Amino acid sequence: MKQRHVNGKILTTDVPGSGAADPQRRRWLRAFSAVPLVAGIAAPAAKAAMKTNARIVIAGSGLGGIAVASRLMKQLDGASVTIIDARQKHYYQPGFTLVATGIWPVDKVLDPTADFIPAGVKWIPEMVTEFDPAANAVLTSGGQRIAYDYLVVATGLQLDYAQIEGMDVAAIGRNGLTSVYAGPDAAVATWNALDAFRQKGGQALMTLPSGPLKCAGAPLKMTFMVADRLQQAGTLANSRIDFHTGLPTDTVFGVKVVNDDVLARWKALGIHNHYLSKLVAVDPGARKATFASPEGQRETLGYDFLHVVPPMRAPDVVKKSDLAWKEGGFAPGGWLEVDKATLQHRRYKNVFGIGDINGTPRGKTAATVKKSAPLVAHNLTQVIAGREPDARFDGYTSCPLIVREGSAMLIEFDYDGKLTPSLPMIDPMQESYLAWLMKVRMLKPAYVSVLKGRV
Amino acid sequence: MYEIWLMLNIVWETLLAAWPLVLALVLVFAALTLAALLRRDAAWRAAWPVALAGAVIVGMASFLLLPSLTLSSLGELKYWVDWLALAGLAAGFALLAAALLLPLAALLKRQPT
Repeated sequence: MKQRHVNGKILTTDVPGSGAADPQRRRWLRAFSAVPLVAGIAAPAAKAAMKTNARIVIAGSGLGGIAVASRLMKQLDGASVTIIDARQKHYYQPGFTLVATGIWPVDKVLDPTADFIPAGVKWIPEMVTEFDPAANAVLTSGGQRIAYDYLVVATGLQLDYAQIEGMDVAAIGRNGLTSVYAGPDAAVATWNALDAFRQKGGQALMTLPSGPLKCAGAPLKMTFMVADRLQQAGTLANSRIDFHTGLPTDTVFGVKVVNDDVLARWKALGIHNHYLSKLVAVDPGARKATFASPEGQRETLGYDFLHVVPPMRAPDVVKKSDLAWKEGGFAPGGWLEVDKATLQHRRYKNVFGIGDINGTPRGKTAATVKKSAPLVAHNLTQVIAGREPDARFDGYTSCPLIVREGSAMLIEFDYDGKLTPSLPMIDPMQESYLAWLMKVRMLKPAYVSVLKGRV
Repeated sequence: MYEIWLMLNIVWETLLAAWPLVLALVLVFAALTLAALLRRDAAWRAAWPVALAGAVIVGMASFLLLPSLTLSSLGELKYWVDWLALAGLAAGFALLAAALLLPLAALLKRQPT
């Protein structure tokens, strides 16, 4: 250490190698040097890429398809990875409820698909029109026959609005007819209709079919937000909200503790529930909706605002293929026949499934893909290496359940409906600002990280 | 560890989404720091109180305003996790303010030569 005398004061300066730096500077240096250290500790350990010339086809460019492709490009050296999907726009679907309730502008849920296709991946902008798993090939809308060694099915699901007589997706936004699921335009139209409805209030009919749904929390979020928007506008008192579900009595959500909490909240908000009441027809011009009981009894009700949640099933291309379940509860919907633990096809061992298409007990959410994409990439790599898939999925899914503007609950659970909070200090049943902040600010960056195969 | 990695990725993607603003702030910080380092009469020691005071003001303002800027309100902070998260965010903005104010104040408060 050197000492200098300046204006009668003794200043010390460090000598390289002396280990006695200025304390302030030393703190900064330590802080900066810790950055890569923290990233290094936190980042998953990178393994050497496995050499292979495997041909891998991924059907679908949604979150699941792209996330698996990103991971395979890191894990495999020499593989040919091809994504087949004609969609030019990538939808951030978890943001649809935010658009449909006036919280987000629509541009936040739209990105060019090309922006997310990983480097080195071949993208064929066509749709798969036929799976031929016996011959290890797919046919595309452009007439190509593409052979593969391994296939990842990531097609997403089919919104079956056609099951509702008189339903016209193009009419969403007019005459109080709304639906958050149909896409970004429908989400915008839904908000416009909700904004108009809340000015005067009136009769709102909210719906929820039975059967597998993507983001099963969305119909509940929409109901909470309709009530909140009416309350904000001062028109809740002269409005009535009826929630019709095809589910059994006292059931609106598959996790009991959450279900009971939601029902208690709705009771306090004056929302009326109708069980075993399935939306079967709508007359948008006359603003009438028809509901049916399991016994076939029909009831037609007028509305000022109707939120339609369509039944959902596998796309025809999967449903009509040999990849679909042939028996059991997932067969009617034509869902992909995968093992719920390994996500490997039960009969075609070179086929894996990811995302909404999977015929598994729960979890058609982005959170499910976040947790299962690394698993699918790992298990597929195992199979390519001639080993058995050894990673097992617990069915993790998550629902940031908005209860009003500014507050949400962060609910995470597994196949068994057991609550599985990622951070032990987070109380899933506690409505909170942090859960809201995560929903509106943090989950899209997390989603993009999943697309890039980093988390 | 996964949660830390996830959070780092969220911060990274958030910064990436706002890269023009981030770049502008980095350039301003670099320009101020360089200018202050090149001036022999820059008063770093005297700048600290100014930077700290600015950080406290920005931190408090952030704490009070962030909920409404994110379409919520202070009334929605329901348990300690909410308060901790908001305090952490406010501290981040305070740190940013200190980083910008320190070289600026060092430039403005020159030592007598």
